[in-house]
Amino acid sequence: MVKLPPDMLLRVTKPARYTGNEWNEIKKEHSGVKCLFALAMPDIYEVGMSNLGLKILYEILNRDSDIAAERVYAPWIDMEREMRDHNIPLYALESFEEISKFDFIGFTLQHEMSYTNVLNMLDLANIPVMSAERAEDAPFVVGGGPCVYNVEPLTDFFDLFLVGEGEEAILELSHAYIAWKEEGRPGGRRGFLLRAACIDGFYVPSLYEPHYDENGIFTHIEPLVEEAKPIVYKRIVKEFDKAAAADHPVVPYINIVHNRIMLELFRGCSRGCRFCQAGICYRPVRERKADTLRDEARHMIDSTGYDEMSLTSLSSADYSCLGNLVDDLMYDFRHEKVSFSLPSLRIDSFSVELAHKMQQIRKSGLTFAPEAGTQRLRDVINKGVTEEDLMTSVKAAFRQGWKQVKLYFMMGLPTETDEDVIGIAKLAEKVLDAYQEIHGKRGAKVTVSVSCFVPKPYTPFQWFGQVSMEEFERRQRLLKEHITDRSIRFNYHDAKTSTLEGVLARGDRRLNKLIYAAWKNGAKFDSWTDEFNEDAWRDAFAKTGIDPHDYNQRERGDDEAFPWEHTSPGVYRSFLEKERNKAREARLTHDCRRSTCTGCGICPTLEAHVIDWKVKNDCE
Amino acid sequence: MTVSDVNMSAEHQKYRAEVTKGAGLRFISHLDYAALFQRAICRAKLPAAYSEGFNPHMKMSFASALPLGVRSESEYMDFELKEPLQGIEVYKKLGTQLPPEVKIKRIAMIHGKHKALMAEMDMAEYEVILPYSGTADDVHDAITRFKHAGEALFHRVTPKKTRDIDAKKYVRSIEYHIEGDRLLLNLAIASGSTGSIKPGEVLNVLNEQFSLYIEPYQADICRTAIKSGGRPLIELV
Ligand code: SF4
Ligand code: SF4
Repeated sequence: MVKLPPDMLLRVTKPARYTGNEWNEIKKEHSGVKCLFALAMPDIYEVGMSNLGLKILYEILNRDSDIAAERVYAPWIDMEREMRDHNIPLYALESFEEISKFDFIGFTLQHEMSYTNVLNMLDLANIPVMSAERAEDAPFVVGGGPCVYNVEPLTDFFDLFLVGEGEEAILELSHAYIAWKEEGRPGGRRGFLLRAACIDGFYVPSLYEPHYDENGIFTHIEPLVEEAKPIVYKRIVKEFDKAAAADHPVVPYINIVHNRIMLELFRGCSRGCRFCQAGICYRPVRERKADTLRDEARHMIDSTGYDEMSLTSLSSADYSCLGNLVDDLMYDFRHEKVSFSLPSLRIDSFSVELAHKMQQIRKSGLTFAPEAGTQRLRDVINKGVTEEDLMTSVKAAFRQGWKQVKLYFMMGLPTETDEDVIGIAKLAEKVLDAYQEIHGKRGAKVTVSVSCFVPKPYTPFQWFGQVSMEEFERRQRLLKEHITDRSIRFNYHDAKTSTLEGVLARGDRRLNKLIYAAWKNGAKFDSWTDEFNEDAWRDAFAKTGIDPHDYNQRERGDDEAFPWEHTSPGVYRSFLEKERNKAREARLTHDCRRSTCTGCGICPTLEAHVIDWKVKNDCE
Repeated sequence: MTVSDVNMSAEHQKYRAEVTKGAGLRFISHLDYAALFQRAICRAKLPAAYSEGFNPHMKMSFASALPLGVRSESEYMDFELKEPLQGIEVYKKLGTQLPPEVKIKRIAMIHGKHKALMAEMDMAEYEVILPYSGTADDVHDAITRFKHAGEALFHRVTPKKTRDIDAKKYVRSIEYHIEGDRLLLNLAIASGSTGSIKPGEVLNVLNEQFSLYIEPYQADICRTAIKSGGRPLIELV
């Protein structure tokens, strides 16, 4: 057990990040369990504590009397310095036990810019950063989360990965571990990894070897043993209505990023926006029943004392019984001070009405995501939204008394021209005009938030090259010049980190040494603008001889094999290719949720199907 | 967060609770400690009274903030319910919804008018435990010198401003005894609307200016009482 010097926490910011003891925290005697599982987020407490996936796994694992799951997050820079100065290893918040004493450390990989933090946390835990160097009794380091659809850049550091949803798989893994341990650890570390590779959804990278052609282009990956499946398909919970929810989430003392109950209405989204990886990777859509959700909401409020609840999903407004559900929830909690909110709004007046009903007034304003400035480009990305839809929505919002509207866009989308960029400014102006039309005077404030597009694996845009940093910056300047109205605020994302994300997102195994070198150079908290260490990365590229443009800017050939195709969400490559071709012609594809199947392949591959209560006529 | 004495409707009832803050929570800020009770009151389904207005908040107030890193056997919280429940019922319901590091010691219904806790208190008492290898005479000398000094200025630096505080103005009594290799100090510090000094600051003054050979950062400090006119606040209602 770790004991902190008494004054250490007085010298760091927000010491409550490091002391645990929160409400609903689960502490178990380690002598009474057979498997110790550390659930980790390679980011600070406030971010890690806001992650729904980790909350769910924490409860599922701890419900098993043989398993103790505990939490660990990245210490902020000041705490890390203190820990290194005083030889304090990374510890878990529940028991203060060293992470190196655990059986598993499971990292959720939410975005590429958190990779160096994984290495840093392993190092702080005194666990060898390289999986090949880990001793027999070292923890197994397992990765999960949205980045598992290309984990090749991380294969040196992880022992195994879980592709897809963890509710069932994480218990299967833990039980396999307990059995292996009780049998006397046959075959040692590798013996367990071979067993894990046989469980659906687990990918053990050391059992595969990649091959490249004479030009250094990836050609294929070779399974080295019988246990290594040629393709590891994602796990999903088919009957999502029956899946366990996080009914007793740990309630932090300090404010965190999402400091509220998260009620998960459904998994998956099939709107089919062509840039969106989540839209493919979480398919098919599976809803929970409204009654299940009402029960859960009651349990969660009772067990936490929260007074705020977010109806969370990839596109919550698509929930088939949303109107009824919101009415019912508001009725259920009419005597309590509980407020409800939607994390994102669909661009239609139904969503605005709903937001009004939920009184999302105190919030800074309403947020819409048209993603692109012109109709042509919105059609390219299959954002089935017209300018008229947006105008109807913002007018409805202005009528209901909102004055502030936030619009999200992406820059650098395939086929984008200067006209599309300028279209963003024009659209923002039209929103201002809409206010004038409604109220006869000016008074609206519009925030235009523009991120840089990063092509992601398993999207129709996975073949496209990413725009260069200079070009991103030119387009940002162009847009800035065209935003002249002072009622429009313009925020844009840093092109430096987006182009690096572009390298890592579609990387292969050769990037392991790049990430290692960057971390050795001091890179960490890469997603934190103030902490991003450009020199560390530039030097790492130079040292390893890796040309970033081979990964981010290079357009891939039609028949080129991708290094990520053996960890698969189950989508057909031919579907993605067809979508890419339709994108070039700006042709739309409909949502399969309440209409016909558009043939992405995920349902047949996984033997699953869409569960939508409206289709089943079960809204009432 | 203040409890207003006016506009209290007939059935509303105010309570005063003496509560603890265990070692595991000593790095939770005062505001977060207050929020912890709000959530606990929600979980306990107690009929909390809220302020009026656009952004209503629970009617609840605390005595002076506990310095970060200090635990407490005696914190105070006044709060208001919309129904006059018996103290014992509130005690039971709330008690089961508090984390193990927080205990309710006593709870009392407030009768008649009372000043806010902050205004009512005038003294806070602390127990300090320190590793110590010196002699009893050394401690005696240091404390005697402090008692006879004309002033004992402490230079307080905060992000906002820097100023000198005379520890003598606030320290009402210091008692000590030695147990093996530990030094125990009991401090009574005046604490009210005219400001105060933190127990850790007193230790620094004793160490730096009066040659008490301790390492203030190793101190385990616990607030043991908050009083007004020599009586614990819970006895005043
Ligand atoms: S609506 Fe589009 S962007 Fe949003 S999750 Fe669905 S596919 Fe992705
Ligand atoms: S297989 Fe068909 S129904 Fe299933 S998610 Fe894909 S497009 Fe939709």
